[in-house]
Amino acid sequence: MSEGTAEKLADGPVSPVDAGPGYRRWPRRALAVISGLILLIMMALTAVDVVGRYVLNSPLIGATELTELLLVSVVFIGLPAVCLDDEHVTVDLVTSALPDWIQPFRKALLAVITATVLAVIAWRLWVHADQIASYNAVTNSLRLPVAPVARLCAATTAASVLITLYVALRDLRTALKG
Amino acid sequence: ETKLTVANWLPPSHPLVSEVIVPMTESIAEATGGNVVPTILPAPLGPPPAHFDFAVNGVADITFGVQGYSPGRFKTTNLAELPFLGDSAEAISVAYWNTWEEMLKGAGEYDDVKVLALFTHGPGEIFVKEGDLEGPDAIKGKKLRVGGGIVHEVATTLGAVPVEGPSSKAYELLSQGVADGILFPYESVNFFGLIPQLNKGLAVPGGLYNTSFYIVMNKAKWESLSAQDQKAINSVTGEALARVAGQMWDRADAKGKAAMDGKLEVATATDAQMEAWETALKPVIDAKMEELASTGIDADAALEHLKAGIAAETK
Amino acid sequence: MEMLASWPVGMAVFFALLLVGLPISIALTAIGLLGTVSIIGWTPALSLLSTTFFEQGRNYSLSVLPLFLMMGNFVVQSGIARDLYDAAHAWLRHRKGGLAMATVIACGGFSSVCGSSMATAATMSKIALPSMRRFGYPDDLSTASIAAGGTLGILIPPSVILVFYGIMTQQDIGKLFLAGILPGLLGVIGYALAVSITVKFRGFDLRTEDKLPLGTRLRALKGTAGAMVLFTFVMGGIYLGVFTPTESAGMGAAGALLLTVLSRKFTWRATFATLFDSAKTTAMMFFILFGALTFTNYVNLSGMTADMQAFLTIFGDGPVPVILTILCIYLVLGCVLEGLSMIMLTVPIFYPVVASLGFDLIWFGIFVVVITEISYITPPVGMNAFVLRSVNRDVELWTIFRGLGAFVAMDVVRIILLIAFPGIVLFLPSQM
Ligand code: NA
Ligand code: NA
Repeated sequence: MSEGTAEKLADGPVSPVDAGPGYRRWPRRALAVISGLILLIMMALTAVDVVGRYVLNSPLIGATELTELLLVSVVFIGLPAVCLDDEHVTVDLVTSALPDWIQPFRKALLAVITATVLAVIAWRLWVHADQIASYNAVTNSLRLPVAPVARLCAATTAASVLITLYVALRDLRTALKG
Repeated sequence: ETKLTVANWLPPSHPLVSEVIVPMTESIAEATGGNVVPTILPAPLGPPPAHFDFAVNGVADITFGVQGYSPGRFKTTNLAELPFLGDSAEAISVAYWNTWEEMLKGAGEYDDVKVLALFTHGPGEIFVKEGDLEGPDAIKGKKLRVGGGIVHEVATTLGAVPVEGPSSKAYELLSQGVADGILFPYESVNFFGLIPQLNKGLAVPGGLYNTSFYIVMNKAKWESLSAQDQKAINSVTGEALARVAGQMWDRADAKGKAAMDGKLEVATATDAQMEAWETALKPVIDAKMEELASTGIDADAALEHLKAGIAAETK
Repeated sequence: MEMLASWPVGMAVFFALLLVGLPISIALTAIGLLGTVSIIGWTPALSLLSTTFFEQGRNYSLSVLPLFLMMGNFVVQSGIARDLYDAAHAWLRHRKGGLAMATVIACGGFSSVCGSSMATAATMSKIALPSMRRFGYPDDLSTASIAAGGTLGILIPPSVILVFYGIMTQQDIGKLFLAGILPGLLGVIGYALAVSITVKFRGFDLRTEDKLPLGTRLRALKGTAGAMVLFTFVMGGIYLGVFTPTESAGMGAAGALLLTVLSRKFTWRATFATLFDSAKTTAMMFFILFGALTFTNYVNLSGMTADMQAFLTIFGDGPVPVILTILCIYLVLGCVLEGLSMIMLTVPIFYPVVASLGFDLIWFGIFVVVITEISYITPPVGMNAFVLRSVNRDVELWTIFRGLGAFVAMDVVRIILLIAFPGIVLFLPSQM
């Protein structure tokens, strides 16, 4: 390993936000900013809660439930980004040994399965939102409605379905041309 | 033979499972002459708050849980969770069931399921690691771990700093010093292994708060049973099951209290403390009664019915 | 579909889907869902699916994952990781495999306080992996020592899983904590051995250089001050009870962000890149977790644990044959099930049997936790390996599992030692 490569590796994996070909495009940027802000708020909530508990002897009311809602939001807002960069964790033992010409078709087929499963999840999250809205599910202390968060999760999962299919189609076309 | 699945989110050693749910499955099988056989699933299917919907949607046939885990959903529960109701879980549970059948059912909160039982645990008391519990300001400024529901408002109103977290994390919160104490019934202090973490307790006559539980069944599954089996199941659930559950909590509280002997000093709240807290908690109680009235139930009549029932059971 | 009602068929189909390269999260979800449908029907199964994805997604305890990920990523952004490398280099440059051993110990220390094996793997891989790469350690050894080291904390007290087991079986939690200490240290020794065995037998060409004079080495420590302050803050805060382990993640992330500001590495652009990376990794990990829980629900409904009970006495009904059978069952189950779910599924069935054979339930608790540690690092469903892969997307999953072979082997040796010499577990609690 040359010293140059080693130096680069020592700084950790380069973030795909900079490296990605589409960084200047708005979808990736929007996802980065929204998910980043959510994480910063989660961090700030803990800090304010802990400091409040000791300095002012009054913790932040509802810090726990806000953290819970922000957590599920960041998980589901991160999903379209994972699909956009095609970064799902897979077992690569056998597939890397397959001949090259199979790969584009294999990937396209798997993308269809992935999109189907995600579509089912999106649909059911929406139904779930309807159900919890019907009995006015709210959080414990702040009485915030929970259903809109479930709708957000359904929407980002639905977006992930479209992104998965778009990425698969794009890659298949590139492979067939090249 | 009809098989029913029973969803369980508690450890099998918990008395609610071993002394209520397991005997319930046996008595249903016995009463129906083996026509209906409930079996308990080995592991939880999801978090505790999800269990009511598991029964609604048929994920499991019978489920149990705590209404307070789903804030906003159950307003009639308020009635059974008020402070100072009584010291016997059995009396409160039986009276609660009868009040529900006669008055609270109309609120329609349980229309999507067949209700097998509603009941409450024993009175909630105060426990702390250090310091004393004297005077009306006994818990003022103390960081107390509380669950969801009314206990949160009770703690805040009396000046405590509420620390949130599931009951399974209570040990961690206390042992690491994040919480100075906890509001819990005797049973739970013992069950969650907290006695070595605590030094002083204060018994509040009638209980500082209470927690309501449900056992419900999927409606379609219920309707698929023969009239004869339904009748047999009704004979061993409802009031009978609420009583079994209340008795279990009373026994478990007694056992918990005995386990504290010599390790944890429990005093009883003084008259001065009780007077101060009754006044302080009046607005909390009024707000809860107002919420109950918003369902169209005559809240005052329901409370009177409940209290009369508790008195009749206690005598 | 009907076939899936039988759990061995479900597991076989799941393996097949993994091998053709379907994302792990999707394969787990698909088979978990279809299997559940075959048992309880479409409508209930679909409703259970949404509960798993949404309600488990807002599980407060899991908020440690994104927050510790952020902390790790900010540590990289602040340049502390590089300073740590320089110090490690100064101290360990003359020892073969020294850095991997140091990593194992650091992971054990971090995970024992933060309590989450996945969060440890995520945080430490940001800090330790770059250094090990610069030393020329092969990725399989480096990632494996982080993944394995991260599992140590669930046994070394305080341990959330031991609290859970204690409540489930009504055993004394204080005794369980004491019982976990020696087997936990044995684990550290075992993993250190795994490192040296790997280095020796695989014949890695690790650079070794002359030993530096003490003065030079001490000076190299100066750059680690920031990292030391951060770790002392996080670990000390938990031990002194200033904040809970869950809160420590948020406090640690805030501290690490402050360090990037102090080290003049803060720009909004770099910070949002760091945050975006954390968010994506969070999404990947949670979808695998949701899939694992969906799959566990299927196994739960399929009646597998009742089938297991019948297996227990297959090699005889004495204590040793039964405990070895339980060990084998766990090693197999641990390959496909998520650790904590596996405990919830099996302990209620196994512990009465084990107790009736004369085993101490404190001992069995430690046995079960060591088994869980192993399940985090065995293929194909090894959560810690998945975490390493999610955080370092340039490492193949198979590379990590290959490196973990020696560590799993040492764990099996450890558990056999615990069976042969129960005193390792029971000595400390007996002194209480
Ligand atoms: Na630990
Ligand atoms: Na595994």
